[in-house]
Amino acid sequence: MTDIKQTDMEEITIATDVLVIGGGLAGVRAAAEIADLGYKVTLAEKSAALGGSQQNPGALFGLSAEEQRTVADTIQAVSAHAQVDVLTQTRVAAFAGVSGDFTVTLATAGDVRQQKVGAVVVAADFTLQPLNAAYGLSLSDGVVSQSQLDALLADKAAEARLGGKVVAFLVGFGQEGNPLVMKRVMKSVAALAAIEGCTVYVYVNNIKVAADSLEKLYMEGRSKGAIYFKLTEAPHVSPDGKAITYRDLVVRQDVELNPDLIVVEEALVADAENRQLAELLRIDQDAWNFLQSDNVHRFPIQTNREGVFVVGASRGIQDLPAVWTDAENTAMAVKGFLGNGTKRVPKGKAVVDNGKCTFCLTCYRCCPHGAIYWVAESNKAIISPVACQTCGICASECPMDAIQIGGFSDIELKAEFLGNLAGGAPRIVAFCCQNSAFEAGQMAAQFKMTLPAGLQMVKVPCAGKVDLDYILTALAEGADGVLVLTCHEGNCKSERGNTYASWRVEDAQRMLVEAGYEKDRLRFATLASNMGKEFSTLLLDMEARIKELGLSPLKN
Amino acid sequence: MSADPKKVMVIGGGIAGLTAAWELSKCGVAVDLVEKSDHLGGHAIQYCCKATEECRQCGACSVEKMLKNVVEAPNINVHCGVEVGRVARNGGFEVGLQASSVAAPAVAPGCDQRYESNPLACAAARKFSKNNAALDCGRAPADLTVDAIILASGFAPFDATRKGTYNYGKLPNVVTGLELERGVRANGRVLRPSDGQAPAKVAFIQCVGSRDERLGNLWCSHVCCPYALRVSELMKHHNPEIEITVFYMDIQNTGNNFPAFYEKCKQDLQFVRNIPVDVYPMENDRLRMRYTTESDGTPVDAEFDMVVLSIGIMPGLDNQRIATLLEIGLDADGFFQSAERFNRTATANNGIFLAGTVGGPKTIAASMAHAGQAAYEAMKYLGGAE
Repeated sequence: MTDIKQTDMEEITIATDVLVIGGGLAGVRAAAEIADLGYKVTLAEKSAALGGSQQNPGALFGLSAEEQRTVADTIQAVSAHAQVDVLTQTRVAAFAGVSGDFTVTLATAGDVRQQKVGAVVVAADFTLQPLNAAYGLSLSDGVVSQSQLDALLADKAAEARLGGKVVAFLVGFGQEGNPLVMKRVMKSVAALAAIEGCTVYVYVNNIKVAADSLEKLYMEGRSKGAIYFKLTEAPHVSPDGKAITYRDLVVRQDVELNPDLIVVEEALVADAENRQLAELLRIDQDAWNFLQSDNVHRFPIQTNREGVFVVGASRGIQDLPAVWTDAENTAMAVKGFLGNGTKRVPKGKAVVDNGKCTFCLTCYRCCPHGAIYWVAESNKAIISPVACQTCGICASECPMDAIQIGGFSDIELKAEFLGNLAGGAPRIVAFCCQNSAFEAGQMAAQFKMTLPAGLQMVKVPCAGKVDLDYILTALAEGADGVLVLTCHEGNCKSERGNTYASWRVEDAQRMLVEAGYEKDRLRFATLASNMGKEFSTLLLDMEARIKELGLSPLKN
Repeated sequence: MSADPKKVMVIGGGIAGLTAAWELSKCGVAVDLVEKSDHLGGHAIQYCCKATEECRQCGACSVEKMLKNVVEAPNINVHCGVEVGRVARNGGFEVGLQASSVAAPAVAPGCDQRYESNPLACAAARKFSKNNAALDCGRAPADLTVDAIILASGFAPFDATRKGTYNYGKLPNVVTGLELERGVRANGRVLRPSDGQAPAKVAFIQCVGSRDERLGNLWCSHVCCPYALRVSELMKHHNPEIEITVFYMDIQNTGNNFPAFYEKCKQDLQFVRNIPVDVYPMENDRLRMRYTTESDGTPVDAEFDMVVLSIGIMPGLDNQRIATLLEIGLDADGFFQSAERFNRTATANNGIFLAGTVGGPKTIAASMAHAGQAAYEAMKYLGGAE
């Protein structure tokens, strides 16, 4: 095994061109900011024009005429920007390489081109989905979607058409909704209520007002005469849309309303093509098809891969100020990542022993950061020092023990926990993720919380680095109890390091039981960096249990 | 990098100020971080982790991480226990600092030996984070000269005594959401203030101070539904037998995964769409509230071990003074006014930027994103720095 010094640095040249996927407002804004920083940007949009797939951003985001002009100017500026190459009707056909050195294949109607880029910004659009089916309704003259209503209101004839009419909105029963959905509703409610003789009823579940000025917009509609019925169950709507029956909570009886027009809510959902994009780019998704895992370490615009960023509707439903925020955070992150094209990285971040590597590609498959690749001539795994985040999952999963992590090599880690088996008894070795449990342990110690006298904390880069071998060696060489302490599910900086750790603890526990020893000598638990008190409680509990079991019979 | 690096003052060491300072520092900008209290991390460093088996994405742990980044950064100069007293413009800004009006918390005896002697007091005495240990506060340096200013002075939690009928401050087991979180952080779980016992029946009252026409507070605070639901689920995780009732008007989202999380909450908690008006004292420091059921209007008289007031985000108490100092405006609610529609970090005074809840209620994640944007805008203003 090689001992690697983390202090030796090397310089690596990376590509500095940037690909922005998606020419909606988020993509346009990100491209403009990144290009202003001096990088060359390719902006690839799958449709025929920039600005997003939505025909009516004015109504969608509730923009004034002046604000719509600002948006139009922004799009115009990007098209004219010398540093931005705009490609419409263009899709990503293939994607290869590693962070800082990606090769992207772009397909533009009949034309295919390949390009080297250092970083990628994904700016997928969202999709509008009318939810009439959730209410058993078909769209018709008397039943319209929010988008159809927006178009109707944009027409000069709206006043004549809707004056004297009864309009009913159905919101929040077909979906949970969000502030942007609610803002669209409230904007049109206020507009309708201002029309002479138009009566507006809104049947709504939770009113989502957690955004700037929405409570005031809600008040505005009501002050103009709109009536909101807040219900927890959807009202009954006749299939022809002619009658809405609901339980009136004040008079406590069923009331029927006969509207002239029903407006059904629309959901704003992630683009269906996100799945293919995620596979191509090897980035994680959340449960709702957005292109960012639901993990605080990714917020606001990071993904599991270095140099791949997500903005706007790629990562969630957001209003325009948040899109602006995303775009600027991304530009700053792109600058931080690409710099001037030369990166200084530690030399021995993660090293593959070519003599041992059998090219089984286990590491390639388990790396959560897409940091491992190979070149045809060598047929050995190569770990990119630019993309690698030194979690060490690959080192512990490698069946040939061919990978060592700088600063956390097998020799260094074993020397640490074997050499220092602390004085107090029982001896407890706690492998602690440096991002969570190790911080919690330091907090507990510094706050003078009670801890076991025989506790030895071993800092690991991620619990995914804890080998089965470490656990068994610690127990065999003098530890009376071993803990593997890691981040909560969904909080691992390397996405799945905690899961690998839990599997290895289960394996080790089975082996202990088969060999006739107590399973409780080994424990897996999750903690966050700010859980000093819980760390103390957990360790004292472990100490008490070990005292019950007695000192380890496994000691030499 | 030029021989004379650009310098930015960040006002406020909460999560927004920390994030802005860290982002600037990474770009090679020197930062003077001015914090009026004795600790960095603001309100957010006092919040607890709300993970059960799984992380709930509250972001409390990212505050620890950011705090650590900042105290370890060589080009961030922290001035705590002081506040800005004077600002003059001369191309850049000449800034005079003065002793803070915020009193340092009393030292808790016994904490040096044993934390368990008084967890709440000891956590406060340790400034809530191990990363605050090295701070040396209260010494105002000579004047600062800076090229730009990021204002991240944060918010004031709603003063719950203003809703007198809840008897907050009089009944020990009526607590605010902030106190609830501080308690979990210090004790590892929820305990009743009156006797230190685990409560069996808890009520949350939402929108205390927010969405309140009578108080003129026409805004939703964004964070109260998320923290109430997350802490409720944490309590349920610690004790599946606990009964929790959430009194609410409308439940706001916690993030992308809200629909799934809310479904779980609906199974575990009782939701009542009715905000009770009075909290009455009962025997054994229990609390009584009256409300009507939504389905048939039946009046219910219920007793609880603890009542949590989900207090919201109010404009900072010092906002008017700061607005005058910096010559920037406040909006009708008393938060700082942004000068642009889409870029909400811009102010009317070129070279001064807003970050976090100074501009209105935000979650931890939104504050961090906003602060990153403010840092980027400041960089642009400085001409790319570096």
